[in-house]
Amino acid sequence: MDSDICQVYEDEIQSLKEEIKLLSKKYEDSQQESTYFSDKEILMSVKSLQRELQGESEGHESAADLQAQLESLETDLSFLMKLTGIQFTGLSKKTLERTGNKTVRKYRLSGSCCSLSFQLEFQLLEMQNKGNVSAAITDLSITMEPRGNSDLDNFVSSSEKCGSLLTFFRSLSSYAEWYEHRRCTFLHFKEKYPDIVSLPEGLLGDYILLRNPKASGFELMIVWKIHINEKGKTTPVLDLLTKVPKQVLDQKMAAIENAPTRFRSMLLVVGIEEAIENLVNIFVSER
Amino acid sequence: MDKGNVNARDGVLAHLEMLEVQAQGAAMKQQEKDLQEEKLTRLKARVMELRLQRDELQAKVNLQEKKQLEKEGTASDPAQASHKTVLQWKIKNLQAMLQVFYLTGISGKLTRHGVCFYISTAYEGTYLDSYYLDLLTKSEVQIYHHSVPHFIPLEQIAKQYLQTDIRRFLSVLSDHLNAYVGRRYQADQLQEHFSDQIKGTLWRNSLCNLLVFNYDMPSKSKTFPFHVRLVYGNLCHSLPTEVTISCTPDAPASLTETATAHTHLFRSMPLHKAFHSLSSAGETLDGTP
Repeated sequence: MDSDICQVYEDEIQSLKEEIKLLSKKYEDSQQESTYFSDKEILMSVKSLQRELQGESEGHESAADLQAQLESLETDLSFLMKLTGIQFTGLSKKTLERTGNKTVRKYRLSGSCCSLSFQLEFQLLEMQNKGNVSAAITDLSITMEPRGNSDLDNFVSSSEKCGSLLTFFRSLSSYAEWYEHRRCTFLHFKEKYPDIVSLPEGLLGDYILLRNPKASGFELMIVWKIHINEKGKTTPVLDLLTKVPKQVLDQKMAAIENAPTRFRSMLLVVGIEEAIENLVNIFVSER
Repeated sequence: MDKGNVNARDGVLAHLEMLEVQAQGAAMKQQEKDLQEEKLTRLKARVMELRLQRDELQAKVNLQEKKQLEKEGTASDPAQASHKTVLQWKIKNLQAMLQVFYLTGISGKLTRHGVCFYISTAYEGTYLDSYYLDLLTKSEVQIYHHSVPHFIPLEQIAKQYLQTDIRRFLSVLSDHLNAYVGRRYQADQLQEHFSDQIKGTLWRNSLCNLLVFNYDMPSKSKTFPFHVRLVYGNLCHSLPTEVTISCTPDAPASLTETATAHTHLFRSMPLHKAFHSLSSAGETLDGTP
């Protein structure tokens, strides 16, 4: 009989402990979620803590700890951003639901990947199950800037439909890598052959022009588009367009008509850089 | 008489002994009872203490909610916040951002001797296994520890990219792991949701790039006339490159045509979704007279 009473109390203790754990987590989360400090405020706090640390040599271990922790987290974060090319600029979380082993949070996340910026909203459902945490994304919405790339728009809406956040990021990362690669290649040729190569749309445009500095009117346009399919697979597509004065065209009809086909097969054999280099050399040798 | 005396004496002794045992027993019982009561008091006190703690916390949470409702925007109160509070907030904020990298598929942290990467995998919006890769970065990058399954060609991928292009290395490895987990997920889903259409369990190899099983149309004969073999030739994909469906010898000839239609379905759609579409197609067929 007595041991039954003990059991009742022990059960209550157990459930109270659970309740307290849940409440304090809720309190902490909400405190974190409802507060915002600007970079300036954070910098000020770091500085004044540094002053305190310098002033006294003892009794400030926890402040030093905090600072060390902050620094190591910042290093990790900047390392990851550099490695993946994904920069996060803003993050806000709001806990929508919390029970014993289930949490639903709403995320707002903004950032960029090379020259593409994104804003995401989604819900993350996390379930704790015997030490394992399972996570699932729902209600994913993605806004990308700049808009108007139909390829990218299709990919974005298919990611939204499936909630496939991971694929979105992985694909964006490789898409941006091609973007960056194109920019570097264009820059390389522009610097190497400044009088032949021009970039009417700048380094972020998708074509370059090769001009013969002497014989005006003869132009080669190398168009380099980066396609992304619905599943997020990125493929670069390069093509050659020619602009030739009529008298030259009459003489060398066949050679010029075949040029784009030759360029495409050259791409497969020697790669992008070499193929462009070969084209530029047509002009270099004529100089 | 003598005998009786002896007996009586023995009887007295026994009685005394018995009394002693009883007294001891009573004392022990009393002691036990005391202990029990002590325990009960302790438990009661603990309950009271925890209840109080809970109530205080609840009040704090309520106040917090009320405050948030009052000033619906979120602003800091720098005058009140101590420098430490500000830093603690920032630390939590950074930790949250690092956690978000988990959702992107590749996260990691610098270690004393190099870097430890975490590769997470997902099928659509569902996150599945994650793997770690502890790298030593001295003169040459080396894999120190890892949890990548042995059937993933890690060594080959490492040979190709690890020294020259770490980003590419992680990206290729992530493609392999996601594709593997994706194939496994599809097979699991099929087993879980369409077990009545499958004969026994479906056979799969460890890499889940070869699946073999017998199946039937929904709510049909349960003779499982279709035998299918799916080969996933591209290890970075979770759709099969080769689909072979054959019918059991005693199956009606008309089924051969159905099998051909299924071939196309299995090649273009995730396995469990293909079965889902088979079921819904079956329903509409049954529905029309």
